[in-house]
Amino acid sequence: MCKNCELKPVVFLTNNTKGLCKSCFFRYFERKFNKTISQFKLIEPNEKIGVAVSGGKDSLTLLYLLNKLKDKRRFTIEALLIDEGIKGYRDKTIEDAKKFCKDLDVKMTIVSYKDEFGYPLDEMLKKLKMKPCSICGVFRRYLLNKYSRKLGFDKIATGHNLDDEVQSLLMNQFRSNPEVSARLGPITGIKDEKKFVRRIKPLYLLLEKEVATYTFLRKFEIKFCECPNNTEAYRIHVRTFINNFESKFPGTKHSIINSYLEIMPMLKEKYKNVEEIKYCKKCEEPSSKDICQACEIRSKL
Amino acid sequence: MVKIFIERENKNVNTKAKDIEELIKKLNIIKEEIIVVKNNELTPRNEKLKDSDEVKFLSVISGG
Repeated sequence: MCKNCELKPVVFLTNNTKGLCKSCFFRYFERKFNKTISQFKLIEPNEKIGVAVSGGKDSLTLLYLLNKLKDKRRFTIEALLIDEGIKGYRDKTIEDAKKFCKDLDVKMTIVSYKDEFGYPLDEMLKKLKMKPCSICGVFRRYLLNKYSRKLGFDKIATGHNLDDEVQSLLMNQFRSNPEVSARLGPITGIKDEKKFVRRIKPLYLLLEKEVATYTFLRKFEIKFCECPNNTEAYRIHVRTFINNFESKFPGTKHSIINSYLEIMPMLKEKYKNVEEIKYCKKCEEPSSKDICQACEIRSKL
Repeated sequence: MVKIFIERENKNVNTKAKDIEELIKKLNIIKEEIIVVKNNELTPRNEKLKDSDEVKFLSVISGG
């Protein structure tokens, strides 16, 4: 029986011997989402929130829930999609995103690498001797920030879930990069820096598996597909490691996040002045160096 | 025999198992990376299986 009612359970949460039925799972999931927004003060009334969508399960769940919450909390939303130009992957998820936004009546802007940098990612990979994720990480962040500002977003919401954050924290730990971990958390960016649009992660306390369960039960028409360039990423090794560990020791991922949230204020304090904010001499976007990473890569194309 | 579809590998398998938990062990699948659908319904891992059941292991991992 369901933990809260008499119905048949469809899902078991971490460390719970009793399961939840469909309706009780929706209630659990949506309460956690709303609580994350309140607890970390992710959205203020009257803000215009950009939602970074890819067409995958995380970003479309994020869009669905923010759309559901916007009137009650008095904010507005618009979607922003970055088209990297990955044939057989992004072209498919774009169609899902377009349909989803149309059904919810949410305005969506698409910005492509091809229009912005002259080439789709598939072409860039032939020209550059760089790992695809290294190019993508830089260009995606660059375009998200630039267009969030152009479109007048007060903040940009991303679909990062608890698993994504745990993986990032472990990667930084394994590579001895505490200053990079200091830049993580449910809300990131610098409050009074006008050229940086702050990022929020409302799915921060929800597991990837819970998000997938939610999309399945809500019957969202989303293809479960992985980026074909993802095969070489260090993140995959960390992901497999932590998922195996969680299978044997349930609750580990939550423990990692809870421990991080405890030390996060101290880490942020310690590393707050490590990098002075400059503006790129070429494109005038915020940068830690005289020339930003995006312009560095662009010059090699 | 239970009919199984593993989405991430785009693979079909037929095998015997008394419940979902046994199936996960037998196929060496990381349970944190899947949701289990039996006869088109989401199913907890302790669910018993019978011949003619159709089980899908849907990948929870997406994106890049």
